[in-house]
Amino acid sequence: MQVYINGETKIFPEDALNLYQLLQLLELEPEQAGIAVALDRRVIHRQLWPKTEVLSGCQVEIVRAVQGG
Amino acid sequence: MDKGLQIGDLTVSSRLLLGSSGYPNFEVMLKAITASGTEIVTVSVRRVRFDNQDQGDLFQLLRQKKILILPNTAGCFTAKDAILTAQLAADALETQLVKLEVIGDDKTLFPDVEQLLLAAEVLIKDGFTVLPYCNDDPITCKKLEDLGCPVVMPLGAPIGSGAGIRNPYNIQIIRDIISVPVIVDAGVGTASDATIAMELGCDGILLNTAIAKARQPVLMASAMRKAIEAGREAFLAGRIPQKLYATASSPSSGLINTPSGNHIDDT
Repeated sequence: MQVYINGETKIFPEDALNLYQLLQLLELEPEQAGIAVALDRRVIHRQLWPKTEVLSGCQVEIVRAVQGG
Repeated sequence: MDKGLQIGDLTVSSRLLLGSSGYPNFEVMLKAITASGTEIVTVSVRRVRFDNQDQGDLFQLLRQKKILILPNTAGCFTAKDAILTAQLAADALETQLVKLEVIGDDKTLFPDVEQLLLAAEVLIKDGFTVLPYCNDDPITCKKLEDLGCPVVMPLGAPIGSGAGIRNPYNIQIIRDIISVPVIVDAGVGTASDATIAMELGCDGILLNTAIAKARQPVLMASAMRKAIEAGREAFLAGRIPQKLYATASSPSSGLINTPSGNHIDDT
């Protein structure tokens, strides 16, 4: 399946993935606070990551805090 | 006794809000935060990078320091993007506070008032505590207050310009007609700029570049802390009226004069 993550196209061999699994595959730690995820421009709260299916063609945004004024 | 800065339900004793951008490194940033006495630090939210170029976990670092994190929506040009960014920030950083910036153009970084008001309305209805970065325009500030912003944050001068408080009359009018705290956000270049804003009656200062890009950021952080405290105290103490001509402060009676009334020529 093909997913657009943070503006990049990423290919995964899996046929189905939920958001929690996707974050694990990206070596992000889903249990740790500090990141947030939007799926097709809708924020998905972290409690819903294991239940939210990522479909091929989805747009995923994953953000964290950086230095800013 | 100064009761501190009130932002909605939140009260902090320091009247300085500090940005986290542009320091030589995290260590200097943390020392500057401590020297400034601030309790609130702004951050941005950006895409996670997959090339291992992320700078470390700023969120955890600030949390360990017991600093309140204020995410901004810097870089957003539309209400739609600012709303999504604020919602992502709330989820990532576990806060309903947001420094709302909706920028009109890249060169001036002046706010887009129409989009700012739109975004503020939606976010306030969504339960956010919105701290809006806005023009030094009393009418815009009034509209933001009426929407439910617990503070307004007019600019002193363009972001990063260090040009000081360019329109003190507008800042004074804003302070006069707005009931919620007024925080000058952007434009402060050095300590005296911060003092001037506070002497005008502002309730706080949000700054970043003036400290981060100073030759010695930690020393400038300390200077800003004192400048803001000095300005606040001067405002509370009440300045004397300005006059064109002198008024002697020493007593005029008992002066040693010659009998003719001329001063003694001691040359």
